[in-house]
Amino acid sequence: MSERLWSKATFAGYRWGLWNQREHTALLKVEGIYAQDETEFYLGKRCTYVYKAKNNTVTTDGKPNKTRVIWGKITGVHGNSGMVHAKFQSNLLAKAIGHRIRVMLYLSRI
Amino acid sequence: MAGEKAEKPDTKEEIPEAKKADAGGKVKKVKQVKKGKPQCSQNPVLVRGIGRYSRSATKYSAAKSKVEKKKKVKVLATVTKPAGGDKNSGTWVVTLHKMPRYYPTEDVPQKLLSHGKKPFSKHVRKLHASITPGTILIILIGCHRGKRVIFLKQLSSGLLLVTGPLSLNQVPLRRTHQKFVIATSTKTAISGVKIPEHLTDAYFKKKVRKPGHQEGEIFDTERNTRLQSSGRLIRKLWTHKFCKESKLFLQKKPKTNKQKKSCSSTPGLPPLCVRSYKRNLSSQSSVLNFLQRT
Repeated sequence: MSERLWSKATFAGYRWGLWNQREHTALLKVEGIYAQDETEFYLGKRCTYVYKAKNNTVTTDGKPNKTRVIWGKITGVHGNSGMVHAKFQSNLLAKAIGHRIRVMLYLSRI
Repeated sequence: MAGEKAEKPDTKEEIPEAKKADAGGKVKKVKQVKKGKPQCSQNPVLVRGIGRYSRSATKYSAAKSKVEKKKKVKVLATVTKPAGGDKNSGTWVVTLHKMPRYYPTEDVPQKLLSHGKKPFSKHVRKLHASITPGTILIILIGCHRGKRVIFLKQLSSGLLLVTGPLSLNQVPLRRTHQKFVIATSTKTAISGVKIPEHLTDAYFKKKVRKPGHQEGEIFDTERNTRLQSSGRLIRKLWTHKFCKESKLFLQKKPKTNKQKKSCSSTPGLPPLCVRSYKRNLSSQSSVLNFLQRT
């Protein structure tokens, strides 16, 4: 199947107060959601930050390759305009700001 | 009468009579001791003057003890069994209730009973209302991700039994988890199909492969039976006619009602819904008019 089974999202930045930022929570802007009511579908969904590095790493399906993943999940809503915050197993890299995060369709509640 | 103090000889007679009467009354109150076994009190003394049971309770406990005495069955303490051998005296006595071989040095404190904590086997299994036998599901995870499969039934562990069917999707009879599946609103009529009873969690559980020479044999036979049974089921499910139609249907990417709804309210829904394919009504009806096999 050549379909994309995940939604596109952008890592907008870390959660922050006026003077401090909290790297344990990431703010995501999911493509297509621009209001708070629309975010309900995405709450609890798993999200991943996929990146590549120099050395090969083990993968579940297939041979070791250079792709690496940080897993996380969408924990809640942020603001009125469809932003969402997510927590990852390890905090996201700052260099990922502005880059792609995949929001999976599971854990599905449909 | 008793209150009158008359020193007349008449009254003197009366008084002792009255006394006698009173004494007689008292005598009447006291139970006459029966000739035979002396009855022991059913009301054990806690402290001098205070019995264990109240007045109404003594009546109850007395009745209860009578009943218990009747019910007491003699419990055998020993059993005699025949013994073999020339030098043994024909029988030997076996004690049924043996003394324990070990007494712990400290009394282990009793664990408090926990409330409402059940083992996995007794958990309540829930199923989304959208998932009914015959529903077409989209698998989200695993090597078959993105494929549409038919839901057969929920197993006792809560996992969903699902099939491609094999000839269409290369998805065999398989278990999936409810949370890793999207239920579409498309349903096929599966009510006529009997799902074989041997398809349980134990059947699908991964077998631990023991290293050894026997491995080959065992593995092959199991595999054969598995394939046979799944093949049988698949053959039961599909007629040639249905295969054609369902092929069309299952290979298309239908836009379901739910996704339509959610599309309008949440435009940010994932890509599957965004691609709109009109649902072919004729193929839908043919799916629904699936021939029933007993």
